[in-house]
Amino acid sequence: MSERASVLPGTLELLILKAVSLGPEHGYGILLRIESISGQALSIEQGALYPALYRLEHEGRLESDWGVSDNNRRAKFYTLTPAGRRQLRDETQSWETFAAAVATALKAQPGEA
Amino acid sequence: MLARVGHWLRGVLRRRRLEREMTEEIAFHIAARAEELRRRGLAAHDALRLARIEFGAVERYKEECRESLGLRLLDELRADLRFAVRQLLRARAFSLATIAILAVAIGAGTALFSTADAVLLRLLPVERPQELRRLAWVDTERSRFRGSYQGSMHAWPGGRLATSFAYPVYEHLRGRSASFSELVTFSEASQLNLSLDGHARLARGQLVSGNFMRALGTEALLGRVLSPEDDSRKALAYAAVLGHSFWQRELGGDQGVLGRTLRVNRGTAVVVGVLPRGACGVDPAWCPDLMLPMAMQPVVDAGPDVLANPRRWGFQVMGRLRPGVSDEAARAETEHLVTEAIRAAEPAEAWDPPRVLLLPGGHGLQDLRSDLEMPLRVLAAAVAAVLLVACANIAGLLLARASERRREIAARLALGASRFRVVRQLLTESLLLAAVGGALGVLLAYLVGDGVSRIFLGDERPLGVEIALGARVLAFAFALLGLVGVGFGMLPALRATRLDLLSSLRATGTAERTSLVAGKVLIGLQVALSLALVAGSLLFVRTLVNLHAQALGFRPENLLVFQLDPTLNGYRESRLFDFHEQVLQRLQALPGVRSASMSRWGLLAGSRTRDGLGPPGADRLGVDVHYVAPRFFETLGFPLLAGRDFAWSDREGAAGVVIVNETLARRLSPGQSPLGQMLVAEDAPLAVVGVVGDTKFASIREPVRPTAYYPFRQSRQRSMTYAVRSELTRSALVPAIERAVREVDPNVPLYAIATQQQRIGETTRNERLFALLVSGFAVLALALAGVGVYGTLAYQVSRRTPEIGLRIALGARGNHVVRLVVREATLPVGLGVAAGIAVAFAAGRLVESLLFGTTSRDPSAFAAACVALALCAALAAALPAWQATRIAPMRALRQD
Repeated sequence: MSERASVLPGTLELLILKAVSLGPEHGYGILLRIESISGQALSIEQGALYPALYRLEHEGRLESDWGVSDNNRRAKFYTLTPAGRRQLRDETQSWETFAAAVATALKAQPGEA
Repeated sequence: MLARVGHWLRGVLRRRRLEREMTEEIAFHIAARAEELRRRGLAAHDALRLARIEFGAVERYKEECRESLGLRLLDELRADLRFAVRQLLRARAFSLATIAILAVAIGAGTALFSTADAVLLRLLPVERPQELRRLAWVDTERSRFRGSYQGSMHAWPGGRLATSFAYPVYEHLRGRSASFSELVTFSEASQLNLSLDGHARLARGQLVSGNFMRALGTEALLGRVLSPEDDSRKALAYAAVLGHSFWQRELGGDQGVLGRTLRVNRGTAVVVGVLPRGACGVDPAWCPDLMLPMAMQPVVDAGPDVLANPRRWGFQVMGRLRPGVSDEAARAETEHLVTEAIRAAEPAEAWDPPRVLLLPGGHGLQDLRSDLEMPLRVLAAAVAAVLLVACANIAGLLLARASERRREIAARLALGASRFRVVRQLLTESLLLAAVGGALGVLLAYLVGDGVSRIFLGDERPLGVEIALGARVLAFAFALLGLVGVGFGMLPALRATRLDLLSSLRATGTAERTSLVAGKVLIGLQVALSLALVAGSLLFVRTLVNLHAQALGFRPENLLVFQLDPTLNGYRESRLFDFHEQVLQRLQALPGVRSASMSRWGLLAGSRTRDGLGPPGADRLGVDVHYVAPRFFETLGFPLLAGRDFAWSDREGAAGVVIVNETLARRLSPGQSPLGQMLVAEDAPLAVVGVVGDTKFASIREPVRPTAYYPFRQSRQRSMTYAVRSELTRSALVPAIERAVREVDPNVPLYAIATQQQRIGETTRNERLFALLVSGFAVLALALAGVGVYGTLAYQVSRRTPEIGLRIALGARGNHVVRLVVREATLPVGLGVAAGIAVAFAAGRLVESLLFGTTSRDPSAFAAACVALALCAALAAALPAWQATRIAPMRALRQD
C-alpha cells in the first residue's frame, strides 16, 4: 500500500460533499469513493465518517433514505440537498484559493520576501 | 435553522428508531468492508475482525453521532434525572421533609405574591389605565367653601388630602376642562334596599356619571352599558347595570334579567345590562353589586338633593388625560377651574382656594393598597426569612449527604468526569427537589386563592380585583423555585466536588475542618433568622395582649348590636325619630332584654363623628360626638358620674342638652363640675346636664378623647346602631328583635348584626392575624433550625465515631464526650443569636407602627426569643450528644 496522507481537520466534510455530489451513496460507498477519487492517496478513519455524515444531515446539507445496496442489503443512502450543493461550491472555491496561496508561499525562494 | 430544529425534534421523538438505524448503518458498513476483505483473500473470521478493528470504537462514534444531532445534552439530562430520582427515593425521609418545607415556603410566597400582584402591581383592567388621573385637593383650616365632606382623607403636608368634590364643581370642570378628554364622577351607594320579584335584599351599588363606562372602555356582557343619556332626570325610567358576581350570586346568571324592573330604595330602575367578570369600576377594594346613573342619586340616597348643593363635597372624580398634555398643565387648569366653580357659589372671600393635585389613577383608588400594603410587606418578610431558613437547612442536609457520598463522587471524578459534569448532576437533584416542592407550593397557592386578602379584609364584600395565578405569578413561582434550587444546591455541590481524590477514596476518619465551616455558617444563618422571627412574633403577641388588656370603659359582654336605616324607606325628620323611638320602646319591652338603646355608630366600630364644642366666645375643642337615645350609658355599661341621663323629652324643639365624658369635663372646667355650663356647637346653645365615664370610641388603640353625647332627636340622623343588653343567646334574641322591628315597619331590614365582642374582634383583626401568622412562621423556622442543628451534629458524631470511640477507650467520661459534641454547635448558635438580634433590630422598624404598648426594641421579647432559641438548640444537640456517649469503643475502632 502506498503512503497515504491523513485528512486535514475540517476537510472531511468537504470530501464527503464532493463524493455524494457524484451520486447518491451509502456510508461505506462514500468511503470507497473518497479513496478512489483521491487516487487512493487519502486515508480516512472509518468510524469518523459517521459523525460527520450525521452532522451534515443535521445541518440540512445531506438527505438520507433507506435503499438497497449492490449486494442486495438494506443500506442508508445519502443525497446532496441544494444547501449542500451551495456549500460544496463555496468551500471548493475557498479551498482552491487557500491551497493556491499556500502552494505559492511554499514555492518562495530566498530573497523574494 | 428551522430544518435543524425539526431534525432535532425528530431525533428526540423517534429516539428508538434513530438508535436502531444507527446500529444498522454501522453494521452494514462493517459487513460490506468484511466482504471486500474476504474478496481480497482473507478468511471470513479474520475479515470480520479486521473490519471491526478498522472501523474503530463503535460506541464512541455512535456517541459522536448523537452529539452531531444535538442529543447529548438531553441524554445526560435524562440520565441525571433518572439518577437523581433514584438518589432521592433512597433517602425518602430527607426528600419528603425537604419537599414539604419547600411546598409550604413557596406556596406561601406565591400566595402573597399573587395578592400583591393583584392589589399593588397590576393596573386596572380598563382601557389605557396609565392615562387616568384621580383628582385630589388639600383640605386646610381655610377650606371654608365646603360644608359636609364624605370620603376618605389622608394626612398630607399642610392639611389633609381629600378626594371628594361637590357635584356642581364636577359639572363645571367637565364642561370646561381642555386637559381631560373625559371626566367621570362616582360615589358609593353602600346601602340599597333592592327588590326584584318581591324579594328584598341589601345591596352595595355605585352611582356613576353617564360617561363613566365609556371613559373606562367598559363593555357589557349582556345588554348595554350606561350612557350619558341615562344620566338625566328626564329619562323615562332609570337604567341599572348589574355587576357580574351579583348577577351570578343573586340571580343565578339569569339571561332573562334584561328589561326587568328593580325597586331601589324609593325609586325604580330597569336592568339594561350585565357587566363582564372583573369589570368593577375603579376601586380594587370592592366590586359594586350594581351601577346606577348619578341622576338617580336623590332617589337612592336619603337627604335633600345633594347634586345641586355646592357645599356638600362627596363625589370622587377621575379624568383621562389628553395625549400630549403634561400633568402640571392639567393640574394648573383644574385648580383654576375648581376655584372658579367655588367662587360662583361662595362669593365671600372667607376661604382660600384649594391646592389641587393629580394622582395617578391607573391602579385605581389607593385605599385598598394602604390597607393591604403593610400586612403584605410584613408577611413577605416573614416568608422570605422562612424560605432562607429552609434553604440553609436543606443546604446543610445536602452538605452532610454529599460528604457521605464522597466516595461515589471521588470515583466519578477519578474516572474522568469533569467537575462541571458532577456539579450539574448534583444540582439536578436539588432542582428536582425544588421543582416537586414548588409544584406542590403552586398548588397550595391556588387553593389559598384570594384567602390572603380575605383574612385581612374580612369577606363581607367581593374584591374589585381578581386574584388569580396569572402568567406573572407563575413566572414568579418558577423563578423562586429556581433560585431556591440553585441556592441550596450550589454550595454543597461545589463543596462536594472540591476534594482531594486520594484521601477521599481512602475515606479515612480524619475530619476535614473546611467542610465543617460551611455547615456551621448555615447553622448560624438559620439561628439568626429564626431568632428574628421568634422575636417578631413575640412582639405581635404582646401587642395583641396589650390591646385586649386596654380598659374599654364599658362592658362588652352580653351586648348584641345591629343597624337599621329607615331613611332608605323614605323616613324623614320627625317620622324618622318616631320610628327609632317606637322600635326602641318595643325592644326594651322584650322579655329577657335588660335594656336597649342606640347611637349613631356604636362603640369600637371604627367610625366616628367629629365636632367642635366650647363655651361661647372661646375656642372650640375638637370632640368625638355620639348621638344617643336614653339609657345608652346603662345599656353599654358605663357609669353616669354626675347629673342625669337623657330623657325622651330631650327632643326637637326642647332646650339643647349635652352630656360630656370625664376627659371633656376636665378640659372644659378643670377642678369643678361642668353641670349647667352652657356650650356652643354649630350655632345652638347646649346645657351640660351630665358627666359620664371615659370609654374608648372608634378604636382600642386610641387614647380616650374628649367626647360629647347629644340626644339623637336633637340632630339630623340616618341609620342608627342599636345595642341590646340581654343574657339570651343570639339565636333566641335575633328573631324576637326582627319581630319587634317588623311590627313598626316590615320593610326595614336589620343588618350588620353582631355581638359587641365580635365588633371589637374586627377592630383587632390585623393584630390577631399578625400574631397568628408570624408565630406560625416562627415555629416553623424554629423547628427547621432545630432539625438543622440536630442533623449537623448527628452527622459529625457519625463521622467522628472512631475518634470518639478511641477517646472513650482511653477513659474519656460521658460529660467530656457530650462537651466534645456540643462544642461544635455553641459557636455557630451563639453567633447566630447575635446576628439574629441585629436582624430583628433592623427589621423592627418595619413593624413599629403595628405595635401597641411595646416597641420593636422590647428587651424582654428579645430575651425570650434568645431563651427559646437556646432551648431549641440544646434539645437538638441532646440526642446526638447522648448517642456519642453510647458509642462502643471496640465497634467504633473496627470501623476504620
